[in-house]
Amino acid sequence: MLVRVIGCGNPDVGDDAAGVVAVERARDALEALGVEVVPQAAPLGIVHLLEGADAVVVVDAIRSPGAGRAPGEIVRAEAGADGLPAEIRSSLSSHGLGVAEAVGLAAAMGPTPRVIVLGVEAERTSAGAGLSDAVRRALPDLVGAIVSEASDLVGGAGAEVERSPAEGPTDPTRDGGAEPR
Amino acid sequence: MTHRSVEVPVIARVEGEGALHIAVDDGEITDLRLEIYEPPRLFEAFLAGRQYHEVPDIVPRICGICPVAYQMSAIHGLERLFEVEGPEGTHELRRLLDCGEWIESHVLHIFLLAAPDFLGFPNAIEMAKVQPELVKTALEIKRVGNDLMAAIGGREIHPVSPRVGGFSKAPRRRDLEPFLPRLEWALGQMPGIADFVASLPAPAFPRPAEMVSMVNEDEYPINVGDMASTGGRSWDAETYEQVTHEVHVEHSNALHSLMTDTQTPYFLGPLARVNLNAPLLTPVAREVAERAGLRVPESDPFFSMAARAAETTLAIEESMRIIGAYTPPDPPMVEPQPRAGRTSWMTEAPRGTLYHRYDVAEDGTIVEAKIIPPTSQNLRHMEEDLRAFLPDVIDRPDEELTRLCEMVVRNYDPCISCATHFLRLDITRS
Repeated sequence: MLVRVIGCGNPDVGDDAAGVVAVERARDALEALGVEVVPQAAPLGIVHLLEGADAVVVVDAIRSPGAGRAPGEIVRAEAGADGLPAEIRSSLSSHGLGVAEAVGLAAAMGPTPRVIVLGVEAERTSAGAGLSDAVRRALPDLVGAIVSEASDLVGGAGAEVERSPAEGPTDPTRDGGAEPR
Repeated sequence: MTHRSVEVPVIARVEGEGALHIAVDDGEITDLRLEIYEPPRLFEAFLAGRQYHEVPDIVPRICGICPVAYQMSAIHGLERLFEVEGPEGTHELRRLLDCGEWIESHVLHIFLLAAPDFLGFPNAIEMAKVQPELVKTALEIKRVGNDLMAAIGGREIHPVSPRVGGFSKAPRRRDLEPFLPRLEWALGQMPGIADFVASLPAPAFPRPAEMVSMVNEDEYPINVGDMASTGGRSWDAETYEQVTHEVHVEHSNALHSLMTDTQTPYFLGPLARVNLNAPLLTPVAREVAERAGLRVPESDPFFSMAARAAETTLAIEESMRIIGAYTPPDPPMVEPQPRAGRTSWMTEAPRGTLYHRYDVAEDGTIVEAKIIPPTSQNLRHMEEDLRAFLPDVIDRPDEELTRLCEMVVRNYDPCISCATHFLRLDITRS
């Protein structure tokens, strides 16, 4: 069971750094689980990083205006046959070539491993701003979520983990989060 | 009188957002403004007060697609001020790093950004569903470029090894040799890609333009050369801001670059480079340009796709040549001695000429930085393209109009072009 954890984002653009920072912080715990760690993927690099893995966890900052999410809120989503749920497609990333595009492209060309996205709602995304307090405070939870997700995947040996819609803030299926495309 | 104001939703992106405002009165365009959000501007302030040796770590973060170009303009400029040159082999190794960037950026643009526009797909994902093999091939070629950047730059994104004075660490020969068969494979794909580009249903859009690019007598310009235009001008880094200048545009945050004497826009990027440097194209690149239908001089901006295919080929051939003759620079860098002064440099980023200027204090602190990215220099020309393009299509529904305008703008590969739907169309019809 090869599990790969990938961070996305631009470390110099405020909260967009969250994915990269969180994956770096989780690195030791992940490597102890035998998980492969890629702290910062290139735009669209995720397409190739899906190859050879049984499951992939992508960690990225997201911005979902209109969804009523507070900065620092953690969102979990799993890709289906058609890529990621609409509301995660708004994930921030350098140049708009983000997680959603990469996963969608890979899925359009053939079978993909399980892809789980852990997003954290960003507050500010200006160059040189550093992490906002809200996102900084959410980091321990995000790191915990990454390790727990990876640990489930490694232990579950590919078993489908069903998440019920009742999981509250981390539920990706609730209404109102989708940004128009 | 009918009055309608339309906002087409946009996916707000950190590094990519554009807006196009059009006012139409009785079918006549009375106002047209294109705004493009420009991350480089924010970094100018961010650079002031930093040490010179931090600059190569900061500027690549301006762009995830062309980080190397930002590093190269900065590094060459600072080396010139400090009168230091990297050890023997530095120029070629840097050129190889740039070639990796040209390959990944151009392939990304041709297949994942522009082709879906031309073929009527809403995005690359939908195109990949219909033509999976084509997209797979494209991604594999792109990957060769990304992997080259990682092998030389130390990381796939935001390279860390390029320094003022050389490289912090140079790859070994055996790190680069495995690229040769991959590059050979990629080169073999290029004639087919030229045929694909030639087959794209692009509108014929003949446009007079003063095209601008670096020129160099010895090699196709990337990091070293002077400036020239198809209008017969020539200048260099010191006079860049005299020959061209930026003007503030009313009701917008945008700066537009114009030729200072004539107040006219100019057009830079791959098509301009090929026009001004065609004799320096490598053999297969020349064949690819011809197969893709590109014959210089050509100023129809939609031939930029063919130019990108030719330059991708050139970058592959140059990579093979450089790796074939590679000996690691040893030691990989020369320690620079900072000195006070003003310096400027330009390099050719995949999307066009990228100019940097730095004022440096005696201890190597950056006092002021100025970055003029290719997208901002092309902005006025893009607007004029839209003015020329729109009258024939202005009565189409807003959604279609947005798509057509995006196609015109994205063709320039602007900084924001990677966003799937990047343009907010704000049209007022009365």
